[in-house]
Amino acid sequence: MSSFNDIKPPKLSPQFGSMHPINQVKDFLIDLLQGYGFTSVDGPEIESEEFNFDMLNIKKTHPARQMHDTFYVNNKTKVLRTHTSPVQIRSMLDSNPPLAITSAGKVYRKDDDATHLPMFHQVEGMYIDEQVTFSKLKDLIHKIIYAIFGQEVQIRFRPSYFPFTEPSAEVDILSESGKWLEVLGCGIVNPIVLENCNIDSNKYSGLAFGLGVERIAMLKYGVNDIRDFYKSNLDFLNQFK
Amino acid sequence: MKVAYKHLISHIPSKPSIDEISERFFQLGHEHEIEDKIFNMELTPNRGDCLSVHGLVRDLAPFYEIDLFSDIYEKELKKLDIGFVNHAPEACSHISFLKIDIEGEITPYGGELKEYFKDLNNNKKNFFTDISNYISYEMGQPTHCYDAKKIGNFFSLEIIEEEKNFHTLLEEEIVIKDRNLVFLEDEKVINLAGVVGDKNTSCSTNTKSVIIECAHFNPEEIIGKSVKYDIKSDAAHKFERGVDPLCHEKVLRRFIKIVSDHANIKNVEIYKNTFVDYSPIKISFDVEKISNILGIPNDKKSFEEYLVKLGFGIIDNTIIVPSYRNDVKNLNDIAEEIARVIGYNNIPATSFQMSPANEATDIKILEQNVKDFLIKNGFFEVINNPFVNGEEDCAIKVDNPLDSNRQFIRTNLEKSLTENLLYNERRQQDSVKLFEISDVYSIDSNLKTKKVLGIICSGRVGKNYLDFSKKINIKYIRNLIKELLPATNINPINIDRKSLNTKLKNEIIYLELKLDSLNDLDSDLISKKNRHLKEHNFIKYSPVSEFPSSSRDLSFSIKNIDKYYEIQEYLLAYKSNLIKEIFIFDFYNNQKNNEIKLGYRFIFQSKISTITESEVNNIMEDIINHTLSMDSVTIPGLSK
Repeated sequence: MSSFNDIKPPKLSPQFGSMHPINQVKDFLIDLLQGYGFTSVDGPEIESEEFNFDMLNIKKTHPARQMHDTFYVNNKTKVLRTHTSPVQIRSMLDSNPPLAITSAGKVYRKDDDATHLPMFHQVEGMYIDEQVTFSKLKDLIHKIIYAIFGQEVQIRFRPSYFPFTEPSAEVDILSESGKWLEVLGCGIVNPIVLENCNIDSNKYSGLAFGLGVERIAMLKYGVNDIRDFYKSNLDFLNQFK
Repeated sequence: MKVAYKHLISHIPSKPSIDEISERFFQLGHEHEIEDKIFNMELTPNRGDCLSVHGLVRDLAPFYEIDLFSDIYEKELKKLDIGFVNHAPEACSHISFLKIDIEGEITPYGGELKEYFKDLNNNKKNFFTDISNYISYEMGQPTHCYDAKKIGNFFSLEIIEEEKNFHTLLEEEIVIKDRNLVFLEDEKVINLAGVVGDKNTSCSTNTKSVIIECAHFNPEEIIGKSVKYDIKSDAAHKFERGVDPLCHEKVLRRFIKIVSDHANIKNVEIYKNTFVDYSPIKISFDVEKISNILGIPNDKKSFEEYLVKLGFGIIDNTIIVPSYRNDVKNLNDIAEEIARVIGYNNIPATSFQMSPANEATDIKILEQNVKDFLIKNGFFEVINNPFVNGEEDCAIKVDNPLDSNRQFIRTNLEKSLTENLLYNERRQQDSVKLFEISDVYSIDSNLKTKKVLGIICSGRVGKNYLDFSKKINIKYIRNLIKELLPATNINPINIDRKSLNTKLKNEIIYLELKLDSLNDLDSDLISKKNRHLKEHNFIKYSPVSEFPSSSRDLSFSIKNIDKYYEIQEYLLAYKSNLIKEIFIFDFYNNQKNNEIKLGYRFIFQSKISTITESEVNNIMEDIINHTLSMDSVTIPGLSK
């Protein structure tokens, strides 16, 4: 029989904290895209209008450029980037094709209500090479969505409009409730954007896509209110160990 | 935009079902919902040409025979002698004015006009405005009606920059300021061009003589005005997206026809002027390139057929873009037109393959290692938005903040993390350990970024018998960071609670470090492995309770070693929806007396209501009864 001298103290269960669920999803997506050949690059959150809008073929008249949609800073000399696409512009200006990059991070829009936040996260990808086609884009998008939502998920492509891609598409998945849910935007890089970045659009073409990290996180974790991610509530964060 | 199914199929002889048209609209990229056979369309901003019955039917032409015939006034029109001057030709390339005088009674609405109001449940205003609204619905071209008796013969279109008072026909008094395109009469604004007319010159039910303005405005001059002046304007919505510069005569002849169907026209005259000639966009019909953009076989015959049905002209291998398609400018746009007709879902996917990309950069690896270390030590990562009310001179100002509390970009993470800590303390958390890694900005660094790590903590070191009675202090954080950065001098600070809205006394320790300065990271902690496709499990989240928690402590005295282990197993496995957490806060092995003391804390919380005393007592009674039934187990203060 063991004695009190031999008693093992109670097991100390590890008291781990956790990475924020949005960063977990962001890293998951970056890892996924790196596996497909996309190199992760970063860029500044305070951007020029030139990189955030002009170079991306977003004209001065585009509603997104209005003061009610975009945060302007420092006496209107700069904007808080409204998407991570300016990182793609910087990459195209810095490197010659072929080029495959993914950019992820915080973006800002002048919204603040139950379903929109002034700050959220995007993961975008872009691939520039010869012979990049819409049908190749479809294959890549299928791969990404199957990796996130499983091989069984039903996918639908819809024509859409983004000034920086042409043709443009939005991609929906069929939810368990039978409702189509939008999960991703994509398209063939508009040749105007390539030319803006000194890339010969007769020789090269490109594909681009973007995912809202909060959107994916809400669908994957079953979080219904986007605001829950940013309350910093320990009871909430504790679930994402 | 609402469109009745009935009105669409009046132009499609084969009368497809509402479901079939719905499917075609989705294929074309026209999102919508259907209620009572009315399509509520959500069109992309580049498709202003589809903001009408005719526009939508035109887009369906590749799938059905269509008939866009509408009765128009065919007779020759007299010239209207009007003293109009266009001082802003770059803002208005084409404009027409039509003057109609009617006499006698206006008959009850019939034909399309009657159906428009009945089917869409629209409110009637007055005869001419009602026709104007209907024409905009049918053909997509907004028109504006002035009562000819209330407007003089001399007026102009100008871009003004001075402030002017303006009484809209919607009965709103506004002050227009900065750059605006306006119609002026005697220096008075009679119309905020493309948005809304004024009260004094607008039509009423008594109007018998009308001047109808039909214009093509440059979208740049219209955009943002309806939002700026908070005016709901269908006309502005259309002009912002672009209208057909060449449709004026047809639109105005249609207008006359509908008037003549309901009233006796005494006189009708027209003024037309073009200030900038329209030249159609021409694109080389490079079939090979189109098939390369889409990745589908070259099928010139089909491509041509689709484009012609959509209204494009093809002459000598050149595509002529129709005047209503201001969104089509290059071959990629043409490829999209063809892809929409084929259907994006019918374009086959072809294999996309690349080799995996390079490893993560050193700064990313460092960031991940710092995170891993802190998480291992019980810290939770948070993310805050960067907007603060600003107390530092070097903070960057937001020119258009959401509100006065969010008008600066934070220069450090202290304030956000302090708020996060206090929020959790208010929710009865007695051990809070948080960190954030974020870019911060300041004017000092010429708006350049620096990435910083902020750590904040307070309360108990941990929820176990080793750490329960230890409180977080400067020494704790120094020792912790020494494990991570053995050679770095750090300067954690103790945040004074006096300035915070809190009654707690625990020290709040805050530390901020510039991430790229962490160059002495303990080598054992660094793993430069590539993190490709790291295993990731997505948990199913359970909503957190918004109700207060309640806690109870039990101290067990155990003299039978077997029961010491049994009690732990029992409480480890104990399940109740009302128990949020159970942990051992005290352990003492009194070898001299052959007695073990185990202290347990039970934290209760309900997800549906504030937990009651009796709910807690029931569970505690269950636990007490079970544990006291064990041999040699006692709870000091409680008898068996």
